[in-house]
Amino acid sequence: MSGAGGKIGVTAPMLELRDVARAFPVRDALGRSKGAVRAVDGVSLSVPRGSVLAIVGESGCGKSTLGRLALRLIEPDSGSILFEGEDLRSLSAAALRARRRDMQLIFQDPFASLDPRMTVEQAVAEPLRLHGIVPRAKERDRVAELLSRVGLRPELARRWPHEFSGGQRQRIAIARALASGPKLIVGDEPVSALDVSVQAQVINLLQDLIRELGLTFVLISHDLGVVRHIADRVAVMYLGRIVEEGPAAEVFGNPKHPYTRALLAAVPGQGRGAAALLEGDVPSPINPPSGCRFRTRCPHAEAICAEQVPPLADHGHRAACHLQHQLPPAIARHERDAGGERLKRLQAFFSDQRTGE
Amino acid sequence: MSTTTVTAPALEKGQSPARRALRRFLRHKLAVAGLVVVLAFILIAILAPWIAPYDPIATSWSRIRKPPSELHWFGTDENGRDVLSRLIWGARASLMAGVISVMGAVAIGVPIGLLAGLAGGWVDATISRIADAMLSVPFLILAIALAAFLGPALENAMIAIAITASPIFVRLSRGMALDAKSTDWVEAARSLGNPPWRTAFVHVLPNIIPPLLVQSTLAIAEAIIAEASLSFLGLGQQPPAPSWGSMLNSAQRFLDSAPWLAIAPGAAIFLVVLAFNLVGDGLRDALDPRADRR
Repeated sequence: MSGAGGKIGVTAPMLELRDVARAFPVRDALGRSKGAVRAVDGVSLSVPRGSVLAIVGESGCGKSTLGRLALRLIEPDSGSILFEGEDLRSLSAAALRARRRDMQLIFQDPFASLDPRMTVEQAVAEPLRLHGIVPRAKERDRVAELLSRVGLRPELARRWPHEFSGGQRQRIAIARALASGPKLIVGDEPVSALDVSVQAQVINLLQDLIRELGLTFVLISHDLGVVRHIADRVAVMYLGRIVEEGPAAEVFGNPKHPYTRALLAAVPGQGRGAAALLEGDVPSPINPPSGCRFRTRCPHAEAICAEQVPPLADHGHRAACHLQHQLPPAIARHERDAGGERLKRLQAFFSDQRTGE
Repeated sequence: MSTTTVTAPALEKGQSPARRALRRFLRHKLAVAGLVVVLAFILIAILAPWIAPYDPIATSWSRIRKPPSELHWFGTDENGRDVLSRLIWGARASLMAGVISVMGAVAIGVPIGLLAGLAGGWVDATISRIADAMLSVPFLILAIALAAFLGPALENAMIAIAITASPIFVRLSRGMALDAKSTDWVEAARSLGNPPWRTAFVHVLPNIIPPLLVQSTLAIAEAIIAEASLSFLGLGQQPPAPSWGSMLNSAQRFLDSAPWLAIAPGAAIFLVVLAFNLVGDGLRDALDPRADRR
């Protein structure tokens, strides 16, 4: 699978976003422009080969838009998207389609992401056929292989999506995403539409796949319990911007940004004393606050926060906060992992179960 | 294998959405009755040369405007032709006009509608305004104008009907395509690397077939009336070839003296149109997407 990227492909990160921005125009009832929702506003991120980056944030913070921008499913207004060092924005429509073989998307709602008029076999075979991956005669075998890889019986291939449960459908969607042998997969809340017990199974599956296939994975999620278990790095988004990014252990263990702290404090069992819970709603992204966008809800905000946009460093554990070195110490260490306990137990339960088979 | 195996019911072959719709359709008594009538008329049209008791255009001076009898079940017309035979042959003109012109309307309207819905922007605006303009003219008036422009012949009447009926399909498929465009599975199709035309025809089209099928069935009923009207006005099937519309036209002069001349083709039109409408209603219920969740 390697080497296809050519000259710069080997050293470049799998995916790199440079100052990517996208705004959606808002119109009133008469079609007059009323400004724009700045869904993603100047995001730079780098996802090294074989790593898992999680993008977390409240709903509406632009994380799904960011995921689609990363695959150029939505056109950015500015910035560049480098996939294996190659700018996706410089590709023609046909070249981009051919490139999609290497980058796939898993959707949140498995009841909506499968074409209701295609059997499982047709759906999973589609990427094979689009990119000419296996000869037609071998298609069926390959589909059976993929289905058993995601834990579905290959005999179910002739069935229609409506005959499956949510968890099974998500497995089908995962099989379809794997079919073309991608290098990068973006999972847009891949488990949040599923029952809790099924969530644990699908997370197990994703973890296994990431490890065994050496996938680079971008996990978009609001569930910090899930993120903690899969991610190598975490990026926290607020109103279209990254406010904190770094190795997962550091972001969870020593959150620098007040918003990250508030998010962590909102996880049940996470020790509420460490940071106040957020009040109020996210401000309108049509007219975001000046300076630091979080200042309107930040308990620590000072005058400077309204005046200057806090810069975000390039490397390491970085946070966009003027006051990051003056804030009180973060959450006490012993409480750090409490939020993921339930998920951990569930995952362990299903792991034990499968060794019995 | 390192993942848990998910078990599902043992049946291997799944139940396609079409099969489930068929089951629901068959529970619909009136629709099935309509379908039987439609099929009967189609059979009559196909078998016309063998089941018509007389030559439909052979005239006879000795049998002018005879009332129904054992020899001529539906009587004879002003030229001594057997009404039943003309009715049977006329079924061909009516059904062909109905089915073929609607097929033409679908072939014109659906691709244009898909293009408008999926492309959006000025393409959509242009197509939609043209379709709106055509829809603002009464169906029959436009068909008459077009047929008159093309010249009197059954083929021309069919072309006129096909063009006149196509904006409905443009609008319907545009709306459905717009709906589909916002779904995850269309975005998924794109993210897998489908070119736009493949997304349109492999993914979107199969999903909008149910409403198209319902609309087509209802449009056939309308097209049959349109063909009869055009023939009644002398713009469709040309004499002496039989058509229900032209039969009604010649019958109007003898409504008092020979009412059977009007009753037979009138009843045939009524029956076929009713039957197509019943089938359409049945299909609408059977293909209702909400029914899948019951």
